[in-house]
Amino acid sequence: MSKSMTATRELLTSPIFANNPVAMQVLGVCSALAVSNSMQTALVMTLAVTFVLVFSNLIISTIRNFIPNSVRIIAQMTVIASLVIIVDMILQDIAYELSRQLSVFVGLIITNCIIMGRAEAFAMKMPPHLAVVDALGNAIGYGVILLGVAFVRELLGSGTLFGHEIFTTIENGGWYLANEMFKLPPSAFFLIGLMIWTINVAQRKRG
Amino acid sequence: MAFKKDTVVGTMIFTIILCLSCSFMITGTAEILKERKLAKKRDELKRYVLMAADVDISGEQDFRQIFAKSVTPLLVELDTGEVDTSSDVLDFDERMAAINPETSSKPKKDTAKIKSRADKARVFKVFNDNGELRAVVLPIYGKGLWSMIYGYVAVKPNFNTIENVVFYEHGETPGIGDFLNDTAWTDTFKGKQLFNEQGKVAFKVVKGGAKPGDLHGVDAISGATMTGRGVQRAIEFWFGNEGFETFLNKLKASEV
Repeated sequence: MSKSMTATRELLTSPIFANNPVAMQVLGVCSALAVSNSMQTALVMTLAVTFVLVFSNLIISTIRNFIPNSVRIIAQMTVIASLVIIVDMILQDIAYELSRQLSVFVGLIITNCIIMGRAEAFAMKMPPHLAVVDALGNAIGYGVILLGVAFVRELLGSGTLFGHEIFTTIENGGWYLANEMFKLPPSAFFLIGLMIWTINVAQRKRG
Repeated sequence: MAFKKDTVVGTMIFTIILCLSCSFMITGTAEILKERKLAKKRDELKRYVLMAADVDISGEQDFRQIFAKSVTPLLVELDTGEVDTSSDVLDFDERMAAINPETSSKPKKDTAKIKSRADKARVFKVFNDNGELRAVVLPIYGKGLWSMIYGYVAVKPNFNTIENVVFYEHGETPGIGDFLNDTAWTDTFKGKQLFNEQGKVAFKVVKGGAKPGDLHGVDAISGATMTGRGVQRAIEFWFGNEGFETFLNKLKASEV
């Protein structure tokens, strides 16, 4: 009992740092670069990915014994694509402006390798409850990186967090000269690189 | 009989069931959100009409209430200028009506490049607090460089002077053609006259800038020749005899 509990907890926690999908497996970087220039878009993107990841893992794991081997990737894609369309519709309904800011990146969740990867590598082999835990762990791992990068980029790039002013910029009569580079996607490369480095160093220390 | 998933039949059965259930999932969600989407569309329409008529909606009062109080929507038969009272005006789908061959026709002189024009159009009469006619809001659309440009033009009760304009949907070049949404540009439309003394549409988007005191011209924007031309032609078409001319003449005759 306790052994399986530890294993389950391991499933949830290991993708957050030790085996982080973005930092360690370098999956899903495209969207992490594109939507991480403000906290709000990053948060919404994380929620959307979480929804798709959890439900795709759940559905695929539930029907895994019926999926013919020859069409398994297509079957996974069908489930994921349907979920993404649903997320897109819901997002357009409740937050139209935001969904326009995220533009194509909601649709591109379909091609986010984290989701395909988890479906193929985990949900196809494991029972549903474990697949959901694994999905949650990976979604949190993705979210941690995305929100971490967005925190730095929005704070240094515009002096705000979730749109609230933290540093008053010079344009608004304050002291902070906004660093425009952080508004652009390349800055996310540096930040994710630094994060990978930090996680690697921490891992090595732990042994 | 056990389900043999890796046979051809098994694969086909699985694929069909999966596809069906996925499509049900999507249509189900769409169905649930449909009502809300319609309501949102109605709200958007109300807001743009009020914006076009230059009614202040930033105040405390909800724009839906302002709309209900001061706007009378009408469905107008374009060729005859008659008002159609048979169907619900707010839910009239003008885009569908323009595509459907039964409710549309090919314009004889398609200056706005709209290909087919719906027989009916929605028109909004906007009244002020004393119940006097303040403006008539007319929908226009026409082809710009890449896309259809959709907008509303509000005309003053003399049915000649522009009260205000709003362009609410277009797909013109970002950064070049999207001055359409810029109030600094649309404000220059205010007070311009649509028709000349002969009653012909004289409104122009002038390349190189309208001369001061030009009654009919607004400035074009550099680099967006086609977008500006699209706006001009849309106005030419919709205020011409295949547009609202008949209806406006009728209005004028009954008012005077």
